[in-house]
Amino acid sequence: MAERVFHKSILRNEDPQILAGKAQYLDDIELPGMLYAAFKRSDYAHARLKSIDVSEARALPGVIGVYTAEDFGDLVKPGPLQVPPPTAIKGATYSSRTLMPIAKDKVRYSGEPVAVVIAESRYIAEDACDYIYPDYEPLEAVIDLEKALQPGATLVHEDLPSNEAAHVVQERGNYAEAAKKADVIIKKKIYVDRVAAAALENRGIVINWDEKAQMMTIWCGTQSPITLRNATASRMGLFENQVRVITPFTGGGFGPKINTSMPDDVLLTELAVRLNRPIKWYEDRRENFLATTSERDQVHYAEIALTKEGKFLGFKDVFYHNSGAYDPYMMTVPLNTQTHTVSNYNIPNFYTEITMVFSNEMVVTPVRGAGRPQGVFVMERMIDAAARELKMDVAEIRRINLIQPDAYPVSTGIIGQDFVEGVLDSGDYPTALAKAMSMIDYKKFREEIQPKARAEGKHLGIGICTFTEGTGVGPYEGAKITVGGNGKVSVATGVATQGQAHYTTFAQIAAEQLGVEVKDVKVVTGDTGAFAWGAGTFASRGATVAGTAIHLAAVKVKDKALKLASKILETPESELELVGGYIQVADIPGKKISLGELASMANPMRGTFPPGAEPGLEAVAYYGPPYGATGAGCMAMILDVDAETMKPKIERLVMVHDCGIPINPMVVEGQVHGGIQMGIGNAFFEKVFYDETGQLLTASFMDYLFPQATDMPPKIEMGHTEIPSPLNPLGIKGVGEAGAIPTPAVFTQALEDALYDTGVEIMESNLSPSKVYSYVMKAKGA
Amino acid sequence: MTQLVKINVTVNGVPYEREVEPRLLLSDFIRHDLKLTGTHVGCEHGLCGACTILFDGQSVRSCIMFAVMADGHKIETVESLGTPEHLHPLQEAFMEKHALQCGFCTPGFLMTIVDYLGDNKNPTDEEIREAIDGNYCRCTGYENIVEAVKLAAKKMAAHS
Amino acid sequence: MKLEGEHVFNGPREDVWEMFYDPAILASAVPGMDKLDVVAENVYEGVMNVRIGPVSGKFQGKLTLTDVVEPENLTLTVDGKGAPGYGKGVGKVAFIQNSDGTTTLKYDGDMNIGGALASVGQRMIDSVAKSMIRSAFETLDKALEARLAAKKTGTEVNFTPPTQTEFATGVAKDMVGGFTKVPELRLILYILPVVAVLVILALTLSK
Repeated sequence: MAERVFHKSILRNEDPQILAGKAQYLDDIELPGMLYAAFKRSDYAHARLKSIDVSEARALPGVIGVYTAEDFGDLVKPGPLQVPPPTAIKGATYSSRTLMPIAKDKVRYSGEPVAVVIAESRYIAEDACDYIYPDYEPLEAVIDLEKALQPGATLVHEDLPSNEAAHVVQERGNYAEAAKKADVIIKKKIYVDRVAAAALENRGIVINWDEKAQMMTIWCGTQSPITLRNATASRMGLFENQVRVITPFTGGGFGPKINTSMPDDVLLTELAVRLNRPIKWYEDRRENFLATTSERDQVHYAEIALTKEGKFLGFKDVFYHNSGAYDPYMMTVPLNTQTHTVSNYNIPNFYTEITMVFSNEMVVTPVRGAGRPQGVFVMERMIDAAARELKMDVAEIRRINLIQPDAYPVSTGIIGQDFVEGVLDSGDYPTALAKAMSMIDYKKFREEIQPKARAEGKHLGIGICTFTEGTGVGPYEGAKITVGGNGKVSVATGVATQGQAHYTTFAQIAAEQLGVEVKDVKVVTGDTGAFAWGAGTFASRGATVAGTAIHLAAVKVKDKALKLASKILETPESELELVGGYIQVADIPGKKISLGELASMANPMRGTFPPGAEPGLEAVAYYGPPYGATGAGCMAMILDVDAETMKPKIERLVMVHDCGIPINPMVVEGQVHGGIQMGIGNAFFEKVFYDETGQLLTASFMDYLFPQATDMPPKIEMGHTEIPSPLNPLGIKGVGEAGAIPTPAVFTQALEDALYDTGVEIMESNLSPSKVYSYVMKAKGA
Repeated sequence: MTQLVKINVTVNGVPYEREVEPRLLLSDFIRHDLKLTGTHVGCEHGLCGACTILFDGQSVRSCIMFAVMADGHKIETVESLGTPEHLHPLQEAFMEKHALQCGFCTPGFLMTIVDYLGDNKNPTDEEIREAIDGNYCRCTGYENIVEAVKLAAKKMAAHS
Repeated sequence: MKLEGEHVFNGPREDVWEMFYDPAILASAVPGMDKLDVVAENVYEGVMNVRIGPVSGKFQGKLTLTDVVEPENLTLTVDGKGAPGYGKGVGKVAFIQNSDGTTTLKYDGDMNIGGALASVGQRMIDSVAKSMIRSAFETLDKALEARLAAKKTGTEVNFTPPTQTEFATGVAKDMVGGFTKVPELRLILYILPVVAVLVILALTLSK
């Protein structure tokens, strides 16, 4: 049957209200009697908190209360882990030190909360923070990862023997043996530095405790409303259904909004009950940079072993991953790095070792890419180093090592963030590479365009890299679909939405099965009052996992509808079809019944009811994949660099991408575009920078450079390869993080190629004009 | 207690008289005093452009202005462009070209562009990018926004 | 951040040394310093108004003089804390008597800042610190002149410390000086006049 609304670029259901300024975001919520919170945060990255004087702040007019650790008693203890520990990996060692809701006796990162103010207005609450006087005894800050592991180093967590947070080794084949047989071995040290998610909307929370109904309602732009609900209920001794978490329209998530049991939700839920008034907290941008999680920050010692023809024999990667002051998110990010280092290529021998380290910097939890960009960066840079050594073309050395399309499924032998061995379910990497090369006119560029540009003294370079993206991981998601008496369809699922068009793509999936218009399907996401089972929006899994659950539920509803209609219309099910909101007999269009009427009839007011039947046209379905589906692609870029100012200009950018069958091609392209903006930022503009005393020096957009419209290429040229995933009935793979993953690698490769006459080799990301300049100077021997 | 100041502001054609603290930001005044929450605050230091409104017809950043500065002036916010049922051609263009995802930066872009297209009827891609350089977007990569502005220019020319 | 340099005073070492022990003079030398009280031998405390770019506020400061070898050298420790953050500096100060009757003061120290000062004001910290030191020396020069004149005539001679505006202009000048050395700063040279105006405005408005 031809696809009617699935696999089509349908315009979004949610757009009109957003465009008209009528969508409700977190800070738009006002409740009668609402109070406002502000946090006093530590200026020091590492210090003993000897005492804290809040008396002056308490006396300020308009201040309802100022609270420190001693006002919270038992509540001040490490929160729950956000992600389970890596017990599935043999030999893994780890120490979990989760986030404290408020600092007691010691602060471990600049920005850690030491007091919270509740006041009549946000302005007064922030004023009061200036009148809080903590007494710190500064300690040495632990910043350098390798120094942190030296014996005698200052300890971030004094109850641990060292600053090592975890250690994991994974291997397939035998690298040491492979290295013996290699003609060439290349070793490099590679840095990937921190970036912030920098969603346009900062974090916030509104909490209302209804004492009479004994119901707590929490509004929060969280990526995991169900986890937030369950953690809150558990902590407060309530039933889960006494807590309702509602995600309003959310101005971007990109990772950090997945965290729950953060200082804000732990302390403010407690205070909302104590004060019996609604409380709102809304972060400002500086706080977001200071106290919202960020990611990347790894140091790699990588080694590649090859034959002199350029065939990869083995890869070894020993790396240090900065966890920040605590490790609530355990090993998700570095495990992603491990699984994405060698993914596109045939490398039979792969050894990867993670040492996760505590430091006095902000906690690291996933930011769009979540460890994958680092793995890809390391691999692609090593391949480029090898190509340089062997004097091979960068595209060719990749081509001869790619996994072939007939190899799937491919077991990787490496356990990933979902604690099962990674399996590449489907793909066609050689076609993606060839297509990208063709789209960017690679041959013509190398043979004509580049030589001509160089002769004119221009510095024009090209970069081309392949990557994979592990998506759609478990555990599971669910959905409930209900046909209303109005004939429209309601879809409710547990994942939350931060702009990725769930209100439309999920509607498309349901509409396809039920024969209604996409605009007549109302989707509710992230409201635990509507649906309360699931894990959350992360790892590019919303469409794949929740989407599949929606599909399965829609099929169930369709089956129920057909069964009931068959009885009512006295026609066999095989002769019925769902069209335009009706179930009609295929050749007799007049003989039909509307879905709305059918729904009402499915809920009889009197009479008897068949045993085993369920009322209404409603169904719930769950879906959990055996392992995640793997998207992949190839990105190519032509970069022009001003050799004096080191200012880059992206002349062309080509992205060939496979995300299986796209539910809405327009939405998929939008996701890739957004990821590319972040990838360009990761490559060249953005850097979360802590100085040697742990002070954050990039706490505003003045210093944290955010790619703007003129920093992007003039056109993002997209190519698609649609290789359906065999893991789910719709054949979909995730795509949310794709744009961010290969970009730093491609950018750096193109930059080196552009500056060919300097012989520069750059083994770090988060560059800047002065950084590139210093590399060039070093290469010139200056 | 701080002295409150009386201000008279016309917002989206409606006159308002209010008493405000001198330090109240214009963005907070619009959003919390007037309950026009379409204007969003992304950074509070004048860089991201999400808070862009029209001040006597010119696009400005309301997060680095005080409400008292608006006394005697005319302000237009995104709510003045259209309604969900009747979108402004620029809003239609944004929808048709998928130029918004989370939508948080969108009102700021709309006000910047409405001001820009008023004086520049037929901009090139490069000119559009320069014009929107002061508005940050993390979701769309600006790609479809540029397309939407071109489409809007055509639509608005057809309307006039 | 490292702070080092030297300054030649137009006077004998004993007089220069004495100035360091006069809290009124020290206070006047630092722009924004309200007052300096002697709380113990070689320990001064005071309140300082600091404005670096958009970050401003009151700082409780403590100045401690240690390793005092009169009149040759001492170690100066500055510890400031306030709403906008903290600053801690330790510096060795050497006083060298020159044969022509002048005194060379050499300083070599380290300064750590934290809080909003660091995260928002850090781009301007270098220039502001250098300007403050330069301005302090200029004031001390005037103070020394007044002191020596008073000694000669036996009367009090007044000197005026720089105004906030003069200080702001100095900061702006210092910032231009450092700009052309770094590639990306060449790109944003156009921001400079705006920043300078903002700093000047901010300081004049803070009066």
